[in-house]
Amino acid sequence: MSVATVSQTAMAGQDTTARAGRDESARLGFRLTLPAQILVLFIAVFPLLMQLYISLTDWSPLSGRNWWMAWESWNSFYNYYDLMQDNRFWGALWRTFVVMIVCVPVEFLLGLGLATLFADDFRGKRVFYSILLMPMMVVPAVAGYMFFMLFQSGGPVNDVLSTLLGTRVAIAWLSDPTLALVAVMIADIWQWTPLMFLILLAGLVGVPQDQVRAATLLGAGPWQRFVTIVIPKMKTIIIIALAIRVIENFKIFDTLYIMTGGGPGVATETISVYIYKLTTQDLIWGYVAAIALAILLVLSVVTIWAMKRMAAAREVQA
Amino acid sequence: MSAIRLQNLVKRFGSFTALKTMDLDIGDGEFMALLGPSGCGKSTTMNMIAGMEEPSEGRILFGDRDMAGVAMGQRGVGFVFQNYAIFTHMTVRQNLAYGPRMHGKPKAEIDRRVASIADLLQLTPMLDRPARGLSVNILQRVAIGRSAILEPAIFLLDEPLSNVDAAFRAVMRTELKQLQREFRQTMVYVTHDQLEAMTMADRIAVMDHGVLQQVGTPLEVYNNPANVFVARFIGSPGMNLLPGKPSESDRGLVVDLGPLGATAPLPPSLAQALRRHSGDVLFGFRPEQASLEPAGPGITAPITIVERIGARTIVHLGDDETAMKVVVDNDVAADAGTSVVVVPRLDTVRIFDRATGTAIGGEHG
Repeated sequence: MSVATVSQTAMAGQDTTARAGRDESARLGFRLTLPAQILVLFIAVFPLLMQLYISLTDWSPLSGRNWWMAWESWNSFYNYYDLMQDNRFWGALWRTFVVMIVCVPVEFLLGLGLATLFADDFRGKRVFYSILLMPMMVVPAVAGYMFFMLFQSGGPVNDVLSTLLGTRVAIAWLSDPTLALVAVMIADIWQWTPLMFLILLAGLVGVPQDQVRAATLLGAGPWQRFVTIVIPKMKTIIIIALAIRVIENFKIFDTLYIMTGGGPGVATETISVYIYKLTTQDLIWGYVAAIALAILLVLSVVTIWAMKRMAAAREVQA
Repeated sequence: MSAIRLQNLVKRFGSFTALKTMDLDIGDGEFMALLGPSGCGKSTTMNMIAGMEEPSEGRILFGDRDMAGVAMGQRGVGFVFQNYAIFTHMTVRQNLAYGPRMHGKPKAEIDRRVASIADLLQLTPMLDRPARGLSVNILQRVAIGRSAILEPAIFLLDEPLSNVDAAFRAVMRTELKQLQREFRQTMVYVTHDQLEAMTMADRIAVMDHGVLQQVGTPLEVYNNPANVFVARFIGSPGMNLLPGKPSESDRGLVVDLGPLGATAPLPPSLAQALRRHSGDVLFGFRPEQASLEPAGPGITAPITIVERIGARTIVHLGDDETAMKVVVDNDVAADAGTSVVVVPRLDTVRIFDRATGTAIGGEHG
């Protein structure tokens, strides 16, 4: 029996007490956060699992059974197999992609251009600023109705074109498959360029002016300054702006649905419109669940990519 | 060709005049410090030399060339910002190469120039490090190197040491002075820190409220301040200024300091200048150029505070109008409350007109 043994024992005893204390506080923490955790479980995890479950069945609200009895029509991964073969789905996905690939870059470039203008002071800046932000505040359904009216064959758009061209123009915008898509894109650009502008302006005023002036003194012209200093400094915010618009644009629905209802035919049918029709008209909810999960997967990949790029950009700047 | 001439330079911002008629010649290869408290117009002057601001009136000449309308990128001016304005999203190499790249130099030449400037500034080991997170003395070297690589004839430095802690400032001052000797460029250095100006500059331009007060070598400015502002601003603590009247005595011309008594007779040259002058004066002497005596002829005043700062002791005497300070050795006995006699060294005494604040009887001593 030595002193060392005694002190070791004592320390072991202390250790146990400390661990017990930690366990106790962990248990308390768990109990305190339990209500919130249950809530999160119900609003996020549960619907996802429910969706996954239904997507593996042929369940429909018309079957007259509760959703948890969906296993009776279990079809394994047949919905996903169907999805691969569904031309209307791929067509809708393609159109969604086309709208995005046109709208987001146009919104970005317009927004960036406007932000650059607004970075300097000029007369009436505040008034123009308010006017510029207005489209964003219009309810999308209202915007949809506005553009529906504007693009009528006897509507103001054609009137303006007639005046400009000097001849009577009567384009049936919303009944032509290509023009309908163009009209929808114009409405989206009108409504969402302000958001892009707002985010990019915030980024632009955050660019350190000293570095811009330093670049000027080192002989950089306006364009060189923009490319070598301003854009790299705005990288994080540019990625945020693009990610927000890509994700939002992918879900494009309300304005478009009111303007064209996805038509003529399926000419402007995007993923959201297709899902909406399957849900409310065809009522094949098992299949809808499968599509929704597939879309979620795609958007998650985009989001993870954007977040990684953002982290990388922050690494370089900060 | 790299001398700078400022002629009748005026800068107004709206109704506020930041700079009132400034004339200054800065010689080729000279290190000129613009010194003054904040808001004195020194940075405005610098920004106009760089071309960041347009003068409201007057001309700026580099050599014989009028700089009006010459864009700041075309002036051949190197500028080191207060916070260095290093491009933090680039490496040290990209920072150094930025100027030549923007001037469209071929890659081989850029590489050669970057290598040589990095060698000169001992930046070679850090060339491929990101500029973000470098220590402040390296940032200073990068900032100087980034401008120096374009071989500007003129270097402007805007308070480059104000963000540096006191201990490091001494190191950076020495480094800067050395660099200036190597580059042999005209340098204009803006600062509110007289120590920086005194230690580094060939000449100092003291400014206050948009007016150039005095231009001279550090010792000229210290020894012969042109006016009351310079006398108080230069030196730490500044010059003592006691109100008084000239008065003839049987020993010669003295200054009657009222309750403090009369001073010793002034040196002949100063007395001569003062005799031609009328009106009240300020009797000025440096705290370092006076001694304390227990008794005898001189200015008698009570000690109020004794500050022992290690190497020296600062003794505060008198109050309000008659407040003054004397710097003595650290082992001199001085106790608050006791009265002592202050004996200024007569050859270093300066007299100022009380109404206008300007010095009476210029160079002497």
